[in-house]
Amino acid sequence: MTPAMTISATDAHRLEQSAAVRESIILPALFLTVALGGGFRMAASGQLVFLVPSLMALVLSLLLIGVLFRSGALVPDALMHASRSSLANMSGALVLASLFAAGAQVFNTITPEAGLLQFVFNIFFLLLLWNTIAARPDRRRLLHSLLVLFGGAFLLKYVVLGALYDPQGGLTKRVLTVLLEGVTLGGLTYQTPAPVTGYVAFFTILLFLVGLILLPLRAAAVAPVMVSEALTQTRHAPAALDPVDR
Amino acid sequence: MTTAAGIRLPVTAIRAIGLVLTLVYAGVVVWMYAKQPKTIAEVTGGLTATVALYHIDQASFDQGLTFFHKDQFAEARTALERADPAKQHGVTQFYIAYSYVRQGWGRVYSDDALYKQARAALERAVAVSPDGKVLVNNDPSLTLKTSDELKAEIDRGLTREAADFNPLRVFDKRP
Repeated sequence: MTPAMTISATDAHRLEQSAAVRESIILPALFLTVALGGGFRMAASGQLVFLVPSLMALVLSLLLIGVLFRSGALVPDALMHASRSSLANMSGALVLASLFAAGAQVFNTITPEAGLLQFVFNIFFLLLLWNTIAARPDRRRLLHSLLVLFGGAFLLKYVVLGALYDPQGGLTKRVLTVLLEGVTLGGLTYQTPAPVTGYVAFFTILLFLVGLILLPLRAAAVAPVMVSEALTQTRHAPAALDPVDR
Repeated sequence: MTTAAGIRLPVTAIRAIGLVLTLVYAGVVVWMYAKQPKTIAEVTGGLTATVALYHIDQASFDQGLTFFHKDQFAEARTALERADPAKQHGVTQFYIAYSYVRQGWGRVYSDDALYKQARAALERAVAVSPDGKVLVNNDPSLTLKTSDELKAEIDRGLTREAADFNPLRVFDKRP
């Protein structure tokens, strides 16, 4: 008897239920929230702006999905497969679509909105993702690497650049000015957003990483098969069922 | 099928509920990016208007009309904007546009800056009206009863033409 056969019908149903909740409700909600928050900007005047992702952000998102796939962090079979019901496949398709949108908006939020800085950030992301594909990390290492990538870019944009271009100045700006003595910003332009934009960006990135961690793993891809085996077995032995489940 | 832990839903029902919730939420996200609300009031007002639950503050609207009829246009706009913070009520936006037109209208020339603000308000009024036009029949003080007439007046005011130099223009009636 394989370990899969030892799962009781109650446990099997519970597993299937939790997988369905995660796949159909939690993951799309997380990624759609990221897609919403990633484009959020608040101008210094308090006006809200929702920025659509640039074409480069879409390309980077596609590349990120490729990296997730190569590392095993994203298992397409666990989301869409011929053996799954059409409803389950639709849920899986929505997870993939929302993951793509969320990825694009995460790059949107950590990249400066225009100018040379945007170009430099985009090249930096492109090379890092390319390098990650070449390195073929496993899921754990990739998630760690993405945490460093997104965290570093967030710090650079919202803390360092935000402080350097803050018209009112502050301690961070003074410290950075001292550290970068002799270096001028020249013609580099950057529009400092209201502080609330940084907070929204921080939680957006955090939610995205949580979403990536919650993506169904390779082992989960075979879970429905195990569950159906367990259910088939219990159908042949109804007396073994808990009275509540009968 | 229930347990001590609570109600146990079939997996298909969970997936169906999730699908509906996801599509609704995705609709909200797309709406935010398409409509670009500029304030939280516009976000909440726009979303409630989408499901036909948006209401203006009637007291402020009435107060705005009172100011409007007394030719106190700046005061009228303040009250009307308070009545419709989400800019989702066509008639209120129509009155805001009208107040700019009346304030900017002159016998010799019209104030372009005010007329441009009138145009922006009228565009909002038309955009949020279900049939793409605004009709105000219950106010005898208005010369221009529809958004189409008001738009034509604004366009005339913003266009430089030979008729602008006609001295008989001083006898024109205020819209």
